[in-house]
Formats: sequence, structure tokens, C-alpha cells
Amino acid sequence: MFPRCSVSGGFVILAVWFVLANGWPPLFTVLSAAAVHELGHWLVLWSLGAAVTGFRLSALGAVLETDSGYLSYGRELAAVLAGPGANLLAALALAALGGGERFAAVGANVVLCAFNLLPIQPLDGGRALYLLASWLAGPAAGEAVSRWAGTLTAAALAAGIGLVIWRTGGSLWLLPALCASVWWGTRAWFAGAYF
Amino acid sequence: MTSRQMGRRISAQKWQGRPSARNGARRKKNDALSPRDLRRLAQLVACGTVFVLLVAAKLLLPAKMEAFNARLTATMEQNMDVQAVFSAVGRAFSGEADGGVEAVYRAVFGPQTEPASQTAAVFGKDVSAQAVGSSQENAAQMTTRKLSAPADAALDALRGFRDGSPEVSQEPEAEAAGLAYVLYSQENLPEGVSMEQAILGFDYSTPVSGPVSSDFGYREHPLEGEERFHYGVDLAADTGTEVDCFADGTVTAVGDSSSYGRYCIVAHEGGYSTLYAHCSRITATSGAAVNRGQKIAEVGETGIATGPHLHFELQKDGVYYNPIYYVSAL
Repeated sequence: MFPRCSVSGGFVILAVWFVLANGWPPLFTVLSAAAVHELGHWLVLWSLGAAVTGFRLSALGAVLETDSGYLSYGRELAAVLAGPGANLLAALALAALGGGERFAAVGANVVLCAFNLLPIQPLDGGRALYLLASWLAGPAAGEAVSRWAGTLTAAALAAGIGLVIWRTGGSLWLLPALCASVWWGTRAWFAGAYF
Repeated sequence: MTSRQMGRRISAQKWQGRPSARNGARRKKNDALSPRDLRRLAQLVACGTVFVLLVAAKLLLPAKMEAFNARLTATMEQNMDVQAVFSAVGRAFSGEADGGVEAVYRAVFGPQTEPASQTAAVFGKDVSAQAVGSSQENAAQMTTRKLSAPADAALDALRGFRDGSPEVSQEPEAEAAGLAYVLYSQENLPEGVSMEQAILGFDYSTPVSGPVSSDFGYREHPLEGEERFHYGVDLAADTGTEVDCFADGTVTAVGDSSSYGRYCIVAHEGGYSTLYAHCSRITATSGAAVNRGQKIAEVGETGIATGPHLHFELQKDGVYYNPIYYVSAL
């Protein structure tokens, strides 16, 4: 089955704004790293036999929808970590090749890998933490760990992004990320693992 | 009442009339509003409210709105250089740059923030934050931007080196040129730079034999990507390689700076002086008399550097000369 693809208006607006503020090359760099990331997820899901049912591009990033209900904790963990893993591999490969122009691509992959590993629920790190804790200590523990880690990390992330916006006196295209992290933090605290 | 207004009124009445006619059916439909519809409705209301508020603000407070608009536009134009940030992260990840975190920090906050506060935050241990400013706009349309304003005595000497002589540094312009990188909008030479080969009038020898990794003149800054004037030549050599004194003279300053790393300055005959920067170690002591060819330091990559090299500057009375004529590059 061919996955259902959708691109939200928010993504288009943010992309246009990003290009106006930063030019084309960074957008290309970011989107390439994002493509590597999603490809990592997709490859592992495909090898595990899980169908990808949808693909959404929104202002907050790309999301693969899958019927992962059949997957065991371990297998889903592998699929979740495949995205950041693909970024890390890409960064290592590009770094090994060397060269001045590749540093931006290496950096984008590292940043995307690190960002997605933040333990906040909609991000891979949050999902991985939840799966790992649930696997080891049961779903209740998974939700508790996820809640605390998500709220604290989201608060720290929001503060960090706020600091960047304040100190650079601009970079307002980061505002959606700031709002998202505040939203994630709130959601993680009040709703536990799921919403 | 014109016919158009009448028509409108009639249609309004018609619309108002509807609910009473189909009251039951409508309530049923209302109950059946799906969460998706509710969300859409909420979005519509939120957008509508923002629109109405903005229009009202523009109509009622035009001057304030104008000011707000100008401020918002200015804020939106200020952006960190994403590509530079990625590059800095990539370099740090590849192990290409020393001080990875500092480089990333500079890339994120560098272009827009007041340089001193940023430097103080990163290099808080050796730099005290002083007031900074950027003095600019002379006939050559140049903009000088002070990178840091260190309080360290040795750094004052370095500043004096850059200004030509410490006395000159009382002038505001020269003061601002302190530890400055100079940005130019035109391909003209900055003040105090000579591209001519001066006759030194004393014996000299190359401080380090190595390939030139960066020439004297305009270049793209290796970490910050901007075009800046490079006041010396960079001679690439392994860390620990002996740095020999260019000519007989006296060591006038030994210090450690956030941008130059460990450096020393030697004064020679005829008002000339030389700067040796980014060293891993300075072996000469301040005030010592040194001879041509004598070891005074070791090559390193301290300060803002992307690899081990010697940054070598030659100046006389505030004029920088291209050292390439006097060094033997491989």
C-alpha cells in the first residue's frame, strides 16, 4: 500500500519563512538530513514487515505513521532509534569523507540526531524512553518516566530556544519550536505518555 | 434604503429565520460535531480574532502599529547563521576544530550579539566584560568591530601592537581597532596596511618553515564565514614545532588571548615588531633579549584556530606589512 502523504500549511509557511531568513542552502541541508532520518525509520519498519500507512510533514517536523501495534517493545525500539541512528551514520560517513562544504551536512545530521533523541514524547527519544522503561518495568513505569523526562526536557528546551531568540535578537522562525516545546512540556505533564 | 441594503437585510432575516424553522434538526447536527470540526471551528475563531484585533489596532493606533511593525521587521531580519551553526557543529563532530562548544556558541550568538558579552560568557575566565561598541563609517566605508576588550595587561600590549603604539590607542578610532577584526564592504585596503615590500634593514629568518595555509589580505574567516582582513600569514606546522625568532630584538609581550591564543610579541630594530600567535607554548619570557633564530615558542592551535599553525604578523608604526616576503614558505 502506498502511504498517504500530507503536507501541512504550517510546514509550507515555516519553510518559506526559513528560506527568506536563511536562504536556500540551509533548507536543503535540513531537508536532506530529515530525509536521511525518515529513511532510517522506513528501512527498519520495512525490514520488520510493518507497513507505513502515512507520512505527514508539519511545521514541527516529519512524522511516519505506521501500524506498529504488532511490533514488540524491542522491535519498535529499533524502528524508533533507526531515525537518529541513520543521522549518526550519515554524519560519521560525511565526516570521514571530510571537506569544507560537508561540515554543514555533518552538523545538520548531528543536530537532527541529538534533537530527536530528546526524551520528549513526540520525538524519537521520548518514544524510545517510554518503550525502554515499559519494556523493563511495565507500562505504568514507562508513563511515569516519560512524563517526568518529557516535562523537564521540554522546559529546558523551551528555555534554550528562548535564550537563542533573545540573545540573537531575532531568529523568530524558531518561535514555532519554542511554542512546540512549551506545548510538549505541558502535554507531557498533564496527560502522561499519551494524548 | 437602497435595493442592495434591502437585499442584505432580507437575507439576514432569512438566515435568522432558519433555526426556528429547523430547530430540532439543527440541535442534532450540533451534537454531532466531530472533534475535527470543533478544532477547525476553534482555529477559525482564533484566526478571526487575531485578524479583527490587528485591524482594530491599525485603525485606532496607527502610529503605535507603525512602530510595532518596524520593530517586528527588524526582529525578523535578525537571524543566526544556520549554515554556520551546522558547519561549526560538523567541524566539532569531525574533530576539525578546537573548542567545539565555543565555536558552536560563536556561530549561534556571534553575528548579532554584542561581541564582548559573548566573549565574556565563553571565555569568562580570562576576559572581563567591558563596554564595547563598534565604531565605523570612515571614508573607506569600513566597519570595525571589537571582538573583545580584555583587561589583561599582556592583552593591552597586544592591542598596542595592533594599534601601532600604545599612545595612539587613546584615539577612539584606534581604541576600537584594538583586538579587532575588520569587516569591509569594498575591496579596498584597510587603513594601516601596506602591500609593499619594506626594506627592513636587519637580518631576519623564517620563524617556521611550512606551507602557507592563509595569506595576508582579505579572506573568508574560517569559522565565521565573513570576509575579513587577515593581518598576517598562517604557516601550517605540527603542534610542538619550534618557533624561531624572526630577528634580534626584545620580547615586549607574552600573553593569552581568546582569539590569538598564546602569543608573544618581539620588538626589533627600526620600529618593527613581530607577533607569533596560536602557540601551544611560549618559551621566551617578557622583557628578554632574543636573537634571530632563537626558539621563542612552539606551534599550536590555541585561540581561534582550525588547526596547528603559526599566525605571523609584521608591523611598523601601526602599518602592517605582508610577511610573505620575509618567510620561507614550503
